[in-house]
Amino acid sequence: MEVLAIAAPGDTIHVYGEVHEGTITIEKSVVLIGHDGAVIDGGEQGEVVLIKSNDVTIEGFTIRGSRISNLEDNAGIKASECRNTVIQDNFLDGCFFAIYLSGSKGALVEHNTVVGHNVRDDQMGNGIHLWKCNSAIIRNNTVRNHRDGIYFEFVTDSRIIDNISTGHIRYGLHFMFSHRNEYIGNLFRDNGAGVAVMYSHHMIMRHNRFEANRGASAYGLLLKEINDGEVTDNLMMDNTTGLMVDGCNRISVERNEFRNNGWALRLFANALYCAFNDNAFIANTFDLSSNGELKENVMSGNYWDRYVGYDLDHDKVGDTPHRPLGFFALLVERIPYAMVFSRSLFVSLLDRAERLLPTLTPAALQDEHPLMRQQEWVGKADKNNGNAPISVRTMNGRSNDMDHG
Amino acid sequence: MLKVFKYTLIDLARNRFVLGYALLMLFVAEGLFFVEDDPSKALLSLVQVVMALVPLIALVFTIVYSYDSLEFTQLLAVQPIARRSILAGQLLALCTALLVAQGFGLGLPLIVHLPNMAALMLSFSGSGLVLVFTALGLLIALKQREKARGVGVGLTVWFLFVLVYDALLMALMFSFSDHPIEPFVVPLAALNPIDMGRILVMLQVDLAAMMGYSGAVYKDFFGSYGGIAVAAAVLLLWFVVPTLFSFRTFQRKDL
Amino acid sequence: MAEPRITFTDVGKRYGKLWALRNLNVAFHPGEVVMIIGPNGSGKTTLIKGLLGLVRPTTGSIAVNGTVIGTDPAYRQAIGYMPQISQFPAALTIGQLLDMMRDIRELDDASIDDRLITDLGLDKQLDKRLNELSGGTRQKVSAVLAFRSKPEILVMDEPTAGLDPVSASKVLGRAAEVRERGGTVLVTSHLMEEVETLADRIAYLEDGHLRFILPMSEILESTGQQRLAKALPELLVRKVATGANA
Repeated sequence: MEVLAIAAPGDTIHVYGEVHEGTITIEKSVVLIGHDGAVIDGGEQGEVVLIKSNDVTIEGFTIRGSRISNLEDNAGIKASECRNTVIQDNFLDGCFFAIYLSGSKGALVEHNTVVGHNVRDDQMGNGIHLWKCNSAIIRNNTVRNHRDGIYFEFVTDSRIIDNISTGHIRYGLHFMFSHRNEYIGNLFRDNGAGVAVMYSHHMIMRHNRFEANRGASAYGLLLKEINDGEVTDNLMMDNTTGLMVDGCNRISVERNEFRNNGWALRLFANALYCAFNDNAFIANTFDLSSNGELKENVMSGNYWDRYVGYDLDHDKVGDTPHRPLGFFALLVERIPYAMVFSRSLFVSLLDRAERLLPTLTPAALQDEHPLMRQQEWVGKADKNNGNAPISVRTMNGRSNDMDHG
Repeated sequence: MLKVFKYTLIDLARNRFVLGYALLMLFVAEGLFFVEDDPSKALLSLVQVVMALVPLIALVFTIVYSYDSLEFTQLLAVQPIARRSILAGQLLALCTALLVAQGFGLGLPLIVHLPNMAALMLSFSGSGLVLVFTALGLLIALKQREKARGVGVGLTVWFLFVLVYDALLMALMFSFSDHPIEPFVVPLAALNPIDMGRILVMLQVDLAAMMGYSGAVYKDFFGSYGGIAVAAAVLLLWFVVPTLFSFRTFQRKDL
Repeated sequence: MAEPRITFTDVGKRYGKLWALRNLNVAFHPGEVVMIIGPNGSGKTTLIKGLLGLVRPTTGSIAVNGTVIGTDPAYRQAIGYMPQISQFPAALTIGQLLDMMRDIRELDDASIDDRLITDLGLDKQLDKRLNELSGGTRQKVSAVLAFRSKPEILVMDEPTAGLDPVSASKVLGRAAEVRERGGTVLVTSHLMEEVETLADRIAYLEDGHLRFILPMSEILESTGQQRLAKALPELLVRKVATGANA
């Protein structure tokens, strides 16, 4: 590693099976490639690898030993105010923050494995943390057991593709004030609170899987104060709440599959001009709940497994509208412990009666064109080209093998 | 007791009603799994069928069988054998026959189509309900001399458990919705064996929603595997208490 | 006479408000056949059921071989009972039913009397299901069950009803054998002609009261009749006239 001091910009340095102790600071544009289990151990001093130059590549290292601190965001690899940083094929083992980019442009973070040590909340930083960046690509990483798996604040025009983010204390993916980003083909599973997208606009969210995020305030996906977004072709499965929409405008939620969630969709009445079309709602405890009327939003062409209408003209669209908001969902909103009567004969009779003669549920909230059958292509979040094929045990016991190409 | 059990079981094994029950359950279960392309959705329909049908059939069959074998019970009672042995043998044989029929008609399709925890719980609560309502049916048959009245009482009991109880409880919940009566309503619901069986399955099926609910009573009551213990205890109680009354009644009954 | 085999002491039985049997004191002895007669509802069935342990007396006690009947079922080992039964467990075969009863009574082959099976022609029907049997055949099965354990007390409820004359006489012949070897036989019957030749004593019940229990010979002698059916009305008129109660 001492060779770093004498290297010229543009050099490539190969490190073979060496364990380096202490912080490395890189102040010139070099390519650093680790082989045969090369390790950089920060020894709990502070940062482990600190990049202060443009055009630096860190590749193939095991990196560990960033110091846990309440004052500093010490990271396994930190780059500040750099362009074109490349971080790939590294294993970040139990760092406080793992990969930390601030003020960087055009970074590529690819094929890294990032594993936090599951300790207390305040001793855990984020896995891949970006602050005030733009045009970054986060691709094919596996991130586990941090606070937030991937965190974006003031990050624009970036893409998050084919990552796996699981087992985090808080969010698998978290956006704050970050605009014109897209995340596609990721898997978010078993995170304390799911995925949160907040105070952002022009977001594209496609082909992701949001699974098994459970708890009193856990969501597959939470959209808060989002304008102009697109949530399409995702799968929301086994979450306490699949998709929560709070204070959003012009969001289109299309072709998603909501399966086995407690609440598939929770809408606040402050949503405006949102469209919920062509989704599939299957085996959720509640398909929809809302705290008011949803006048300026549209809902059409969805498949609801609870729909009991008929299709006399055989156009595959039910001839009567579907009211997804049931009596029981309203009851549970008012009296939560009424859940104890879920799926009892009495409740299903009441629910059925309410659907036939609506007296409590708002009339505006209905799907005029419910589908008779689920479209094949709905919710096919299988574009994940992540690292290794993983098998996901689902609640209903079948294993969904993800296709990782 | 084992001798009465053995020969009563031989008799029940060839009983058309028992065979019919097995086939009916098989038909319903297979039908639902066939109609629904999603097995977990079929399970949800099956839960409602099981919770309504199993108690009804266990009750009515036990009552009818008890009346029909009254003369034979008399013949047994004049043999040098204690009455409790006769009753125990008959109860055990009835439970076994219905459980086997249900295992075939319900358990088998579940194992084939949906081998998961929710299905296991459904089989478990279904079996519990068989035991509970066979015990209740036997008690009713012993308490009522007339067959028609016995069946009438059985149907009434079924209706109370399957619908009226929940309706009353929900009415209570509504009218006192401003009061903290949760600590009463939840355990009260769990006292009804049908509700208990349903809750047990629901804890699996609606797990995602349940975890969103932070009510302490609820969690204390059904939290993790405690729910299964509570359920087993409730179902066992509903089996043991009527059975004890049955033994007491039968011991003193004029045949 | 020897020690009585069965003793009813002050036995009364009440169903609801109705007394089916009142203040019954009677004893039955080894080596006798007693025919119990009376109109429907006179208490015949209740008397038998009391002995069999099917009903509990409201008052008084019943003793068998000197021991009062309680909850211990062991005394019933001595009793053979031929019921009038219309519903056996439908799906069992005759053979299975016989096996079941043998198992319950814990009989070994030496202590079994199976002659009636062949006498009544049941040996070729052992694989038949009980629900396929005619009333007569069911009655034969019933008879076999009663005699099989070589009982010292034999209780027969309308034993000849539904039986063909040949089978009936065979069954009654076996009953006579029980008496010969010192057994006590109690028979209720409406068909007096068939049974009276066997009877040593006649007990007559009415409204829960035992009107009389008299030796057969005495009844025929005192009335000068040959048949019980003729003697009985005469005797009853006389008893009412004298106001006597046995």
